[in-house]
Amino acid sequence: MKKYLIMAVSAATLIGGVALFADDERYERKVYAKSEKAVQPDMPKKKLNEFETLYQKECGSCHMAYQPEFLPKRSWSKMMDTLDNHFETDATLDVNDHKTILTYLTSNAGDSKYTTKHFSKMSNSVPRDEAPLRISQTPYFMKEHRGIPKRLIEQKEVKSIANCAACHTTANQGIYSERAINIPNYGRWDD
Amino acid sequence: MKKVLTVLWLSATLGLAAPIEGYMQTLADEAKKTDASFSGFDAKRGEKLFFSEHVGKKGKKISCASCHTNDLNKAGENVFTAKVIDPLSPKANKERLSDVKNVKKWLRRNFNDVYNREGTALEKGDVLTFIRNY
Ligand code: HEC
Ligand code: HEC
Ligand code: HEC
Repeated sequence: MKKYLIMAVSAATLIGGVALFADDERYERKVYAKSEKAVQPDMPKKKLNEFETLYQKECGSCHMAYQPEFLPKRSWSKMMDTLDNHFETDATLDVNDHKTILTYLTSNAGDSKYTTKHFSKMSNSVPRDEAPLRISQTPYFMKEHRGIPKRLIEQKEVKSIANCAACHTTANQGIYSERAINIPNYGRWDD
Repeated sequence: MKKVLTVLWLSATLGLAAPIEGYMQTLADEAKKTDASFSGFDAKRGEKLFFSEHVGKKGKKISCASCHTNDLNKAGENVFTAKVIDPLSPKANKERLSDVKNVKKWLRRNFNDVYNREGTALEKGDVLTFIRNY
């Protein structure tokens, strides 16, 4: 972390402005603004919001609604085909909702549109012939989370590495910057 | 003025006949079809169904109360994901049992999770009666 700080500070001084660095979070917020959601090109905003709302409601009832940008299309298609046994639980939907959500997921997948920063890194790290159902099993994810001690993941406040929001306090808004990490019974992360 | 009154009256009567009543009736009709001696749903049977443990879809012992807790007026926690679940009783949570499509969906899923099969009309009616009268 210190190394990065020194690098960043010197880079910033070189460019002559710290604004870019300090605004990392605001930048992410902008990048992940809803208006950038694709669903379908030329789709009216109202319709887009309907898709988004349905996704949040249906796929956010048992855990947070994971950002579709984290996985490639082939992963989402496979997941939607196997909802009757979704991580050993039943997550089936009615036919119309199923269709809407499949469209939403595949058109916002990591390989469906231009995505930035860690969203594309996660999805792009998946080998072409694989379609993992877990974001937490993509190579980039595993690399980023390698250093976290097991006990911090298994503790009752977190329980599972899939419980993103337990550590990433702004995960629901799609913001995963280091500053927004607060691990229960540990605190901020400095690597 | 008359128009306003009619609208008020209409919404009042519609409000009384909550959609869940229609669903309860459908379940009762179905239960009657499978068992002619059916004489109504029973909250006591529903309570037993809610609290009894079974080896569920994941191969572990689980009951409805594992996620919805022993006190339906309190918030629960999803045992699989640790996400908070708002209270299940309509007294504590007005939105409960107001959307039939949602109720059907969750009964299908939750029966599968706990009983490893879908619930029968009798079971669904009993457990809903228990939840509604909690
Ligand atoms: C009935 C509950 C339920 C519903 C509804 C549900 N899920 Fe899940 N989901 C789970 C469980 C349980 C897990 C495993 C969690 C764990 O391992 O901690 C999971 C895990 C996941 C994961 C993997 C997380 C990771 O990276 O490890 C993804 C992605 C996912 N779900 C997407 C979805 C989508 C998309 C929908 C909507 C179609 C959905 N889920 C609806 C219960 C549900
Ligand atoms: C136990 C706490 C914990 C959980 C749970 C967790 N993370 Fe992380 N995450 C971290 C830590 C710590 C880092 C490392 C930060 C660093 O070293 O820069 C990190 C890094 C990341 C990064 C990289 C950020 C960047 O700057 O590129 C992303 C993206 C991310 N996590 C997404 C997720 C997602 C998605 C989930 C859920 C599927 C999740 N995390 C679950 C703690 C957690
Ligand atoms: C694995 C955890 C889990 C178990 C076990 C479980 N439920 Fe649920 N149940 C949920 C979740 C999650 C929801 C939806 C989340 C929400 O609406 O807050 C839900 C919603 C419901 C609803 C919909 C209420 C409404 O109108 O919003 C009913 C009814 C219900 N459950 C009944 C049951 C019954 C009966 C059982 C036992 C057969 C059971 N549940 C077992 C997790 C569970």
